[in-house]
Amino acid sequence: MRVIIRKDAPEASVYVASYIIERIKAFRPTPSKPFVLGLPTGSSPELVYKHLVQAYKNGEISFQNVITFNMDEYVNLPPTHPESYHSFMYKHFFSHIDINPSNVHILDGNAPDLARECVMYEEKIRRCGGIELFLGGIGSDGHIAFNEPGSSLNSRTRVKTLAYETVVANSRFFDDDVEKVPKMALTVGVATVLDAREVVIIVTGNHKAAALQQSLEQGVSAMCPFSALQLHERALIVADDPATIELKVKTVNYYKSIEMIANQNGFTQTIRPQVEIDNTSKSVKEELDSPVPSVAKEGLLAKPENVDLQHMRSPTPELMPDRMASRLANGYGNGLDTGEVQFQNMSSRVAPLAG
Amino acid sequence: MPSAIRSHSQSPIRRFRTRITKFTNCRLLKNGSLVKEDLWIGADSGKILDGQDVFFHRQTAPDQVIDLGGRILSPGFIDVQLNGAFGFNFSIEPENSATYVKELTRIKKSLVETGVTSFLPTTTSQRPETYHKVLRFLGPSGAQRNANDGAESLGAHCEGPFINPCRNGIHSASVLRAPANGLEDLIACYGQDAFDQHTSPIKLVTLAPELPGSLATIAELKKRNIITSIGHSAATYEEAKDAVESGASMITHLFNAMSPLHHRNPGMFGLLGQASVPGSQKPFFGIIADGIHLHSSVVNIAWNAHPDGFILVTDAMPLVGMPDGVYDWTNGDRLVKNGHILTLEGSDKLAGSSITLIECVNNFLKWSGTSFAQALGTVTSTPSRMLGLENCKGTLEPDADADLVVLEDAIDANGSPKLQVEQVWKFGQCLFDASSHSE
Repeated sequence: MRVIIRKDAPEASVYVASYIIERIKAFRPTPSKPFVLGLPTGSSPELVYKHLVQAYKNGEISFQNVITFNMDEYVNLPPTHPESYHSFMYKHFFSHIDINPSNVHILDGNAPDLARECVMYEEKIRRCGGIELFLGGIGSDGHIAFNEPGSSLNSRTRVKTLAYETVVANSRFFDDDVEKVPKMALTVGVATVLDAREVVIIVTGNHKAAALQQSLEQGVSAMCPFSALQLHERALIVADDPATIELKVKTVNYYKSIEMIANQNGFTQTIRPQVEIDNTSKSVKEELDSPVPSVAKEGLLAKPENVDLQHMRSPTPELMPDRMASRLANGYGNGLDTGEVQFQNMSSRVAPLAG
Repeated sequence: MPSAIRSHSQSPIRRFRTRITKFTNCRLLKNGSLVKEDLWIGADSGKILDGQDVFFHRQTAPDQVIDLGGRILSPGFIDVQLNGAFGFNFSIEPENSATYVKELTRIKKSLVETGVTSFLPTTTSQRPETYHKVLRFLGPSGAQRNANDGAESLGAHCEGPFINPCRNGIHSASVLRAPANGLEDLIACYGQDAFDQHTSPIKLVTLAPELPGSLATIAELKKRNIITSIGHSAATYEEAKDAVESGASMITHLFNAMSPLHHRNPGMFGLLGQASVPGSQKPFFGIIADGIHLHSSVVNIAWNAHPDGFILVTDAMPLVGMPDGVYDWTNGDRLVKNGHILTLEGSDKLAGSSITLIECVNNFLKWSGTSFAQALGTVTSTPSRMLGLENCKGTLEPDADADLVVLEDAIDANGSPKLQVEQVWKFGQCLFDASSHSE
């Protein structure tokens, strides 16, 4: 797991936004090979979107060939409601960029058959070739998307009932009226997130510190769904200083030193594009499978030119069993009685017992 | 100067033309303030679109994005009192219908360039024959939603002839009458056609409430969805209040052609002094902010008394833009134009203004120090509410007509804030662009 620590939320957001931009650029998406991006909502990602929009406006990045899948959406909340995640995404991101609306996927919390909607969502992700990069945020209790503590770490997209704490926390967006807060949501599962080729999580603010500590320094536990990231091969956590206050100094220093040394040696901690990884893997296999002699053999044991190996080699003699004594030098065995061993009763070699 | 307005095609690979335009980097006039938001409009429907709904449900993106460089995007202006312009007078009988229609079309197209996208063509007091001939051309013209028609008539404003001869202004006293027999008299004057049709060409009638039969007439008009504005009147406060209770909802050019405010007898203006309690009926009122008809402090008094009813009107005459001199007017009268001041020949009676609506807005901005948003509300959302058209005109909410004005805000030579019309859109199409005009 890579962990990048920045001074504050704005700096962490800049890091994440530039990271995503670099990844998309390196991927070189085309209509037939689009970049599939998983997206969250929330206050931490909001700043990331701001930078992505700015980058688009500056002409640094295009989203023409990007397909997006959002993490979650409330059930039975009209998509036009200002608190719906449709509205959030439209307001903060989609309305400002050049993404094709048909490339945007958000779970439909008003679908007639919610279970079917969830299965459909997983299938759509599969048909797009899986998610290349899943951007996420976490909750202060370690929830990721609407996978609250206790969610199966093998969960897929499904209907979730919200924890009471989440409902209360969300009531600030619904006129402080708990009654108005949706009680259910559709959400991708923990396993859906882990299926992505890369997961990038932004964690900012000291209210996230306990969750970050639990996920980084403790074991994998369903009580902190975010900790499942430990099992992901290419996870990247970008945190701000306040979010690290519960971590050991040792942990923080470790990650900071890694980044420092990486920078000093001129390599970033970016993931290489899948194509490159696949190519490397392919060439390694080819090399191992090929019958070509190795460089070492050619250098040290080169065969002499114009020599008929078959006729040079002396024929191996037939095995002729003989007595070993016959192969000893003359006179070496003189004086030794090599006659037959005489067996005798053991008791004969024991002194008779007195009396 | 901020950057030029930039327009670019959003997506070269889009398979079909959506004819949707997105305005970005602009300040929208919404709910009395300027907000930084985008606006989507459709050229096919001629309406403002709910961008989010179009994006998610119709999965459609704009094929034109216009960067307004931080400019203000306002609903198109509505002028509810305009007697004519550019040398054409709505109240003059046409020699033949074709000429009248041609002239009217010319006016509508020119009017757009001043930011006015809808208006009430206003007739001054005339003989019945004139109404019978002209009203049919002045009715609502937006049914075809044809952007190239220019500014849209929302229906005629019949200012008189049922007004008080003591407060006639420049209306010829010889043609004035009283609606003693109620609606019957109005039918006789304006013509049966004006009341027969499913939708009357008349949107608004200015009459004096103290005339015999007026109150009953107001109630009858209300039943037919025709708005009554009280004016050209010597009504007392009590008479004016009765008119409002009968259904009148507007005062025509407040302070002009009515009994002045007296501290024991407040007259019509007194209606704005009513307590703001639920159920109180403070009417809308027109204000001519040309700097001649009203003192700036009087304009501010009216604004402070009832900002929600404050509507700037031009009361503009056909002589806007014409050289100084003496011009023929109706009913044998003649008008003298001397700079911005128009008077009836042989008197010092003011004969309407020769000012554009945007100039009125700028005067009001200068005098009141109010915000751009509030000042623009007096020519957009307030008149549309008065006309009962708040869902389709004077607003930037989805489903309203895409009648828009792009404004540049600047500071004039005297240090006052000033707005300048940069672009005007009607039913989703750009009809005027100052930058292409100046080239």
